[in-house]
Amino acid sequence: MKLTVNGDTHDIDVDEDMPLLWALRDELNITGPKYGCGIAMCGACTVHIDGLAVRSCSVRAGDVEGEVTTIEGLGSPDAMHAVQEAWNENQVAQCGYCQPGQIMAAASLLTLNPEPTDEIIDQAMSANLCRCGTYPRIRAAVKSAAAKLGGA
Amino acid sequence: MGAVKTIARRTFLIGSAAVAGGAAFGAYKISQPFDNPLEANLENGEFALGDYILIDESGVTIITPKGEMGQGVQTTWAAMVAEELDISWEDVKIDHGPASKAYYNEAVLEEGLPISSLENSGAAKFMRKNIVPIVAKAMTMVTTGGSSSTADGYVKMRAAGATAREALKLAAAKQLGVKASTLKTHGGHVIASDGTKLSYGSLAENSAKVKLPKNIKLKPRSEWRLLGTSLPRLDMKEKVTGTAMFAPDIRLPGMKFATVKTNPHLGGKMNGYDAFKAEKVKGVEKIVPMDNGVIVIANNTWTAFKAADLISFDWAKSDYPDQMEEHYAVVNAAFDKDFDSRQLDNGNVEQAFSDADEIIEGEYRVPYLAHACMEPVNATALLKDGRLDLWAGNQAATDQQTIAMSLTGLTAENVHIHTQYMGGGFGRKSEVDFSEYAVRAAKALEGTPVHVMWSREEDMTHDFYRPIAMGRFKASAKGGKPYAFDMKVACPSIMDSGAKRGGPSIPGSDMTNAMTIWDQPYGIPNYRTSAYRTDPLLPIGAWRSVGGTQNAFFQESMIDELAHHAGLDPLEMRLDLMNNDVCKKVLESVAEMSGWGRKLPEDHAMGCAFALAFGVPTAEVVEIKQTADGIKIINAWATVDVGIPLDPRNIEAQVFGGLNYGLAAAMMGEISVEDGKIVQTNFHDYDSLRMYQAPNVEVKILDNGEHIRGIGEPGTPPAAPALGNAIFALTGQRLRELPFNKFVAFA
Amino acid sequence: MKFPILSVALLSISLASLTFAAESSAPIADINPPASATVAEGLEAFSRIFEVTSHPRCANCHVGEDNRPRWSGPSYAPFPPGQDWRYHGMNINAGDSRIGVETMPCSACHQTTPDLESKPHTPPHFGIDWQLAPAQFEWFGKSPSEICAQLKDPTRNGARDWQGLAHHLVDDAGHRGPVLWGWNPSGNREAAPYSLQQHVDDITIWGVAGQPCPAE
Repeated sequence: MKLTVNGDTHDIDVDEDMPLLWALRDELNITGPKYGCGIAMCGACTVHIDGLAVRSCSVRAGDVEGEVTTIEGLGSPDAMHAVQEAWNENQVAQCGYCQPGQIMAAASLLTLNPEPTDEIIDQAMSANLCRCGTYPRIRAAVKSAAAKLGGA
Repeated sequence: MGAVKTIARRTFLIGSAAVAGGAAFGAYKISQPFDNPLEANLENGEFALGDYILIDESGVTIITPKGEMGQGVQTTWAAMVAEELDISWEDVKIDHGPASKAYYNEAVLEEGLPISSLENSGAAKFMRKNIVPIVAKAMTMVTTGGSSSTADGYVKMRAAGATAREALKLAAAKQLGVKASTLKTHGGHVIASDGTKLSYGSLAENSAKVKLPKNIKLKPRSEWRLLGTSLPRLDMKEKVTGTAMFAPDIRLPGMKFATVKTNPHLGGKMNGYDAFKAEKVKGVEKIVPMDNGVIVIANNTWTAFKAADLISFDWAKSDYPDQMEEHYAVVNAAFDKDFDSRQLDNGNVEQAFSDADEIIEGEYRVPYLAHACMEPVNATALLKDGRLDLWAGNQAATDQQTIAMSLTGLTAENVHIHTQYMGGGFGRKSEVDFSEYAVRAAKALEGTPVHVMWSREEDMTHDFYRPIAMGRFKASAKGGKPYAFDMKVACPSIMDSGAKRGGPSIPGSDMTNAMTIWDQPYGIPNYRTSAYRTDPLLPIGAWRSVGGTQNAFFQESMIDELAHHAGLDPLEMRLDLMNNDVCKKVLESVAEMSGWGRKLPEDHAMGCAFALAFGVPTAEVVEIKQTADGIKIINAWATVDVGIPLDPRNIEAQVFGGLNYGLAAAMMGEISVEDGKIVQTNFHDYDSLRMYQAPNVEVKILDNGEHIRGIGEPGTPPAAPALGNAIFALTGQRLRELPFNKFVAFA
Repeated sequence: MKFPILSVALLSISLASLTFAAESSAPIADINPPASATVAEGLEAFSRIFEVTSHPRCANCHVGEDNRPRWSGPSYAPFPPGQDWRYHGMNINAGDSRIGVETMPCSACHQTTPDLESKPHTPPHFGIDWQLAPAQFEWFGKSPSEICAQLKDPTRNGARDWQGLAHHLVDDAGHRGPVLWGWNPSGNREAAPYSLQQHVDDITIWGVAGQPCPAE
């Protein structure tokens, strides 16, 4: 099976029904997307397929059509994506485990809706759980990311 | 600021060690009651540095095995060192501990870096063996919990930094042939009066050879340039780019992936199992039976999960009651026994009640709670050539090592714990079960690294839960003022539960049961608090703020009831009762910030609560609104006094994080038992606070307190009572049981 | 509600997939209208139709203009006190697009795949893109007479007569869409009552009987 992740195409030999999350983590050693619940209730595994957020725990590797982007592909420590920069500036992360998913969800939201209101942010980001309770800073960071992207 | 010498004599050993191309400087804290026996051993060289600073050609690395679970401890500890050592913030590097490096470069290990000691912590071992009754004290030295890290590091890390600085100056003085007193330090260099600059890296090797200076002054607070400011967290870029390594992210050559299935009747044994179908799943390597379940090892996690679901089990039952109400019945019955502790008994409560015109009474209760860290518990282990390496996000490295030693029969030198970032801890990762299973898997597949990832379902149903608890109170007012307050709390003992699974057995009262009730700053003339202890029920453990989570809910809801009974404003009444100025200022601050007493829209209400937990006075006000879909928490305000705020932005994050953690539990947190098993299995039925439910928060940090305090936990206790008191103010309904969503809808 | 061009494009792709998804050769249910049916038989058929349309498998996503899917039925608890349903967790709002393009597409969790099998509490999926039914087709919490009136109102039922409704059911099921899934939800979810064939038959009986509606 072929998977294109962060610009690289891989040929992997896994069952069609293996969730994309585990194909990424255990087969390709791309560990940015995290396992949190396995039932699409927490969002820690969020990646993009063709630029939009998908819970990688709930999409079968065999069903993936399109390019997968993970947090590692969004930006790197030396060249961060605007959303990552906003997260860094707002010092959002505490334990950090949910943040790759939060950031991928936010990037997807800003693609769809470049100027989200508080209400829209609440709707788009509430499927990503954070047990450290970093929500006030996530909200602030989504807004500053929107401003950065709007200014670009 | 005290001289290190004085501090060192009483509580620290400052040391240095030569390492390949550099030096390591560190301090080991010694609790005062044990001065003599420990010092004797220390001189024998049995003890080494716990946390330390590594200086070599590549710069300065601050190494601490303190578990980073999101509380920012590594950043704050690094700042303590950097402050004294005069290095730029941008140049600071941190590491969880060299053991993680040692795996990749065993030569370093061989060259005698004081490595195993970092996590072996001989001091802790010694204390375990010899000073069992004071285990709680010893625990604070080797665990990350109890909001202790900041206070623990405050002197010792600065002292280590200052010692290293002076050693570097001495090395430079020797090299330049000048007096050390003429030298200055700045930006990672020693600077001579003629402008000559020597980098720390170039001096490192020689600095290890100097005789350590004895009389070093710590910088006064007025000269701080890093401490007291909001520093960018050192782990932030990694955490926003997916490059931070959590335990499940470790990848080793030839690694296998496993999961675990254990008896849902917690503590019960496995009578038998049938893995016929599971063994046939392509990719399954091995199924390892244990007393209480199995480990399924496969070539990827998904296969392990899938195969584990195909195994049928015959489980033995547990010894706790099958149904939830029976658990409450056990707690309820504890009130009829003798109290376990009565820390406060002012005036004469019984007499006061017999004089009272009117007495109010109430009974409260709270359920079990799961920690539900975003990262389910897990660990990776490799047993090879008589050496065990274990990678785990954990709050108690020495305990992980102890269990690994007992399972493998290896000595401490051969058991290496690599502490990783924790995807949440909240107390859960101070346990050792996740390490145990990883070690068992490693033993079953010697020579191969195995990662044992628990499914969320396994994690949720095999936690060490926040105990169920009940609170009863009786109170009366006289002349419009609180006159008598008698508070009783009952719950199973965390210490008993820990002892049942091999932890230390501690004689005397379990003070965690009585936390955050007996030491509250209320000057009620007749005031008594008693804690009752039930027999063990479900396995329980420390949960963010421990006893404070339930006890502050009881206490502060009851105080609120008393205020309404006496016709007093609940916040004003608390202020009047407070007999401590630091606490009073905290409450005044939150009142001012929230505009307490201002006219609110008809469908809004506010509630307040205060708790003195872990030495931090914390006051919170919650504002709620009735909407068509239910109650919405719109605003929250919190004021804390941490004595000396080292990193305000990080403290703010901990406070609103703790508040949100407490709100989540208050609104919807509940673990229940049915037929002896945990009902809730994942986030669909154990949901937590989400973005749309999180209030806007404002945090204020005061510094009137005398002692420096940690802030990981204090934000949590007042959250539930503040919300409950707001709901009462809004609806007139007094909610005496958690979670509140059993009684009201939340929007 | 304004949303950018990309979202509109996505919306149209999604709706198009209704028409162009995988074909299946044999119809998944037959449309066999009776030669005649009495009003009483029509009403009886409608009472079964109501049981289906108001069932959680169908009604949870047939919601009104708030665009908020619901969670109701067995295995969706806990519900707020005094209520037998809750809003879809996680504050999900599908937006005016009804597929979530304003925020997070439904397909972020509900994959499009012909495989109807999904585990308990995982996001279910079927062969067309997950979405809410149009707001005019609101069934959740509606009475039999309200749903009946909607079903026979071409301005609120996708411009369909009763034959059109029957064909819609068979077409959707043929694409392994929500209609088929409603009777094959897997994952311990309760299936809609009766069967797809019975439901199609009931629509035709009700239609031949003149689409009678129960009184309030």
